[in-house]
Amino acid sequence: MTFVQKTHLHYQLLALTGEVDLHNSPQVRKQLLDIVKSGNSVIVDFSALTYIDSSGIATLVEAYNLAKNKQLSLTIVGARGAPLQVMELTHLNKVFPMIDSLDEIKG
Amino acid sequence: MKRILHVEHSACTSQLCQIRDKVREACYSLAYSESDINLITLVIDEACTNIIRYAYCGESGRIILEIFQHDDQAIFHLQDFAQCIDKSCIKLRKKNLLEPGGLGLQLIYQVMDFVQLLPPKGLVGNILELKKHLPKGSQK
Repeated sequence: MTFVQKTHLHYQLLALTGEVDLHNSPQVRKQLLDIVKSGNSVIVDFSALTYIDSSGIATLVEAYNLAKNKQLSLTIVGARGAPLQVMELTHLNKVFPMIDSLDEIKG
Repeated sequence: MKRILHVEHSACTSQLCQIRDKVREACYSLAYSESDINLITLVIDEACTNIIRYAYCGESGRIILEIFQHDDQAIFHLQDFAQCIDKSCIKLRKKNLLEPGGLGLQLIYQVMDFVQLLPPKGLVGNILELKKHLPKGSQK
């Protein structure tokens, strides 16, 4: 798993690649929480993510709750395949704002 | 009962990726759909994760994964050699989506048709048995 962080409009974009599991989700957690703690809304790009387990999902939930408390947002873009199935199975696709493409983000 | 897979791994998070690859391959040979393969792979990974976190509590140990085909079901056995856990540990509890904990177990129950703890073969350890119906028409 690798990730890249960059600025997209007034958001911080965290693009995940590969598989997120218990082995590497602490890295994602640190990165994601650091972004939110520093006062930024975040877009998590799932386009190149092929797998995410419950520890990865728990990380997203923690960051989402923190963002909400700070009146920031956490949006997921480009989920498909296995990661989308996990979001649907846990019904978190109804909780998180989820979009297909970055084009849907308005500046 | 036909054994499809028998693998032994150290109970270490770095092994999870290899375990998932083997589960995907075995499920493919059982003719599950891509969608089912994704979900079964997820729940075996969750079960291994729970063994690493809660049975071994991060200490070293082994996990044996066996997959069998029996009649119209695939049977998954996950064996560890940690202290025996109480059966209540694998009971499904009501969970708020946005509260931490218990998500892995919830996924296991959602995806699998049958979940139980079997008595250990020796003095220590646990065997988690999971069953899932095979796709219609795939039984040989």
